[in-house]
Amino acid sequence: MSGKITNSTPLARQERTFLRFSVGQRWEHAILLLTGLVLLLTGLPQKYRELSISQDLLSNPGQIFLIRQTHHIAAIVLSLLVMVHLARILILMSRRSLPGDLLPTGQDLRDAWHMLQYLLFMRKDKPKFGRYNFEQKVTYWFVFFGIALMGISGFIVWFPVQATQFLPGGVVPAAKLAHSTESVVMAVFIVIWHIYHVHIERLNLSIFTGHLSEKEMRDFHEKEYERLTNRPEEGK
Amino acid sequence: MRLRNLLIAAGLVSCLVSIGLAISSAAADSLPVSVKEAAKSQYVFQSQKADNSLCLSCHVAEGMQVELDSGESLPLTVNQTAFESSVHGTNQVACVACHTDISSFPHPERTTETLREVTLQYYTSCKQCHAEQFDLTLDSVHQKSLAGGNQNAAVCADCHDPHTQQRLTDAETGQVLDRARLHIADTCAQCHSAIYDTYKQSVHGTALTQEGNLDVPTCIDCHGVHNIQDPTSATFRNSTPYLCAKCHTNSNLMLKYGLSTEVLNTYVADFHGTTVLLFDKTYPDQPTNKPVCTDCHGVHDIARSDDPAKGLAVRENLLVRCQACHPDANANFPDAWLSHYIPTTDKYPIVYYVNLFYKFLIPGVIIPMAVLVMMDFSRKMINHYRKPKTVMEHNPPPPTADEVVENAKDESGETQPEEFQAPPAAKGSENDHEEAPHD
Repeated sequence: MSGKITNSTPLARQERTFLRFSVGQRWEHAILLLTGLVLLLTGLPQKYRELSISQDLLSNPGQIFLIRQTHHIAAIVLSLLVMVHLARILILMSRRSLPGDLLPTGQDLRDAWHMLQYLLFMRKDKPKFGRYNFEQKVTYWFVFFGIALMGISGFIVWFPVQATQFLPGGVVPAAKLAHSTESVVMAVFIVIWHIYHVHIERLNLSIFTGHLSEKEMRDFHEKEYERLTNRPEEGK
Repeated sequence: MRLRNLLIAAGLVSCLVSIGLAISSAAADSLPVSVKEAAKSQYVFQSQKADNSLCLSCHVAEGMQVELDSGESLPLTVNQTAFESSVHGTNQVACVACHTDISSFPHPERTTETLREVTLQYYTSCKQCHAEQFDLTLDSVHQKSLAGGNQNAAVCADCHDPHTQQRLTDAETGQVLDRARLHIADTCAQCHSAIYDTYKQSVHGTALTQEGNLDVPTCIDCHGVHNIQDPTSATFRNSTPYLCAKCHTNSNLMLKYGLSTEVLNTYVADFHGTTVLLFDKTYPDQPTNKPVCTDCHGVHDIARSDDPAKGLAVRENLLVRCQACHPDANANFPDAWLSHYIPTTDKYPIVYYVNLFYKFLIPGVIIPMAVLVMMDFSRKMINHYRKPKTVMEHNPPPPTADEVVENAKDESGETQPEEFQAPPAAKGSENDHEEAPHD
C-alpha cells in the first residue's frame, strides 16, 4: 500500500500528484467500461425487444445474429478480464501482499453513518476517508457480485444443454430471469451511483489518468494523505 | 359578303350537330332492355326466370352418359329433386348460367377429352356470381398447382358440387353453418385422406368426428378457405404461434376445457418464441430453426398434454422433442422450458424465488441510493450557495477562517492536515516510498 509521489510533470512542477491506480488497473477499468457498454447496448434491445428502437436494431435475421454474436464476444472478453483480475488477487494473496484497502470494515459503517448525519445537517464535517471510501467500496463490491452473477447466468443460458448435464433444468429459466433483471439493476446502479460520484459530485478521472492531485487527496482521502505524507509519525 | 357566307356556314354546322345528337340519343333509348340489364348486373342469369325445364326434359333420364375420347364416361343425368333442393336450385339458377357453351340443341361439338377437362372447362363459370371467393382461390396453393400443370389440383366444383350443393354459410352473418362445419374435413379428405386419418386421431379431430364438437379447429380454421396458402412455407411457419393463439388465447373457449390462455405469452417470453416472432415481424419469409407450436405439439396429430404416448406433460415425450434440436440434452433438460407455466411456489420455484428476490432487491438498491445521491447533491448545492467565498477559493492552500473554525470544532484530535501543505514539492522529490503500486 503506497502512493507514489511524483513531481515530474514539467508543466506543473510544483504540484504533487499521488498515484492512485496502476497502468494495469486503468486498463482493467477501460476494458470493463467498454465491454460493459457493449454488453448493455447489445443486451437491452434483446430484453426490451418490443420497443420500436429495439425492433430497428433487430430488424432482420442478420442483425439479430450480429447483435448476439457481439454480445457473446464482449462476454468472452469480460470473462477473460475477470480471470486476470482474480488471478492477480490470488497471486498477491499467495505472496501475502494483497492490500486490504477494498475490504469492507466496521469503519465503513461508521463513515456511512457519519456521512448520513452530515447530509441531514446533524454534523458539519464530512467523514475522513482512507484510500477507498465506503461509497467506492460499495461500487466495487456491487459490480464484483453483479459481474459474477451476470457471468454465471449468462453462460448457463448460452450453454443450456451443457449446464443441465449437472444442474437441474429449472436453473436455465432462473438464470435467464436473473441475467435479464440483474443487467438493469447494474445499469441503474452505475448511472445513479457511480456516474454521480465520479462526474457530478466531483469530476474524478483518476481511473483514467491514474493520479489524484494533492488537493483531491486532502479533500477526499485525508487519512490516506496523512498516512502517506506523514508516515514516520503514523503510530497506527 | 364574306361575313354572310360565314354565318350561313355556322348555321348549317350547328343544325347538323343538333340532328346528330338527337339521333344518337334516340338510338340509345331503343336498345333492347335485356342488354341494358345485363350491363347493369352481373347476376344476369339469376334475374331471369330460370327455365331449366327444356334441359331437364332430356337430362333427367337415368343412366344418360357419353363416352369421352379418353374412354371415361361422362354422366349426363341430373337428379332433379337434388338440384331443386340445392342452393342453386332454390335460387333458380339456370343450367345455362354455368353451361355457357350450350345454348341450343343440338349442342355444339365437345372440345374436352377427359372427365377432368370437363370440370376444368366449367369452373370459371362460378366467377360470374361468386367473384369474391373465386378471386381468393386465385391466390391459393391449389391454383398455383393447377397453373403448374397439375390437373388434379382442386377447383371450385371439387369441393362444392354445383348440382347438389347445400347452403354453407348463414345468408345474413356469413358464418359457416354448424352442419356445414361438421363436414369440412370430409371435403378435404377427398384428396388429403392420409392427413385426415391423422387428424381424426388428434385431440381436435376426435372431438369433431366423434363428439361433433364444433369448438375445435377443422381444416379451414388453420389453412383458410379459398386462398389456402402453402403450409410448408417459412411465412406460414413463422406465423403459427398467432394461428394457434386465435383459439388458445380466447378465455371463454379455453375456460370451457380448463386450458391456459397464457400459452402465447409464455412462448413469446422464452428464447424460442422471442426469435420466431422477431422473424415473423421483420422478415416473415426467412426460415428460423427455432421451434414453433407445431414442432413440439405436432401438426395434424396434436395430442392431449397428458396423453401417455405423445402428451408433452409426460417428461419423456417432451425430452424426445427437445432432443430433435438439442441431441445432447439429458433428462434434466426439459425443465429448462417452463412448459407454458407462470412460475409459482409449486411450479418452477427457483424461477419464482429469483423473481421475488429482485422484486425486493431492485427497490431496495435503487431507492436508498437515489435518496443518498439526492441528499448529497442538495447538501453540495446548499454549501455552494450559502458560502460562495469558501467554495470559490479552489486552487490555493490557505484555509479560510470558516474552515479552520469548523475543523477545530469537530474531532479535536486530527485537525492538523493544513500543516501538511508546508512541505510540498521539496518533500515529494526526496520522499521515495516507491514500492510498486499495489493492486
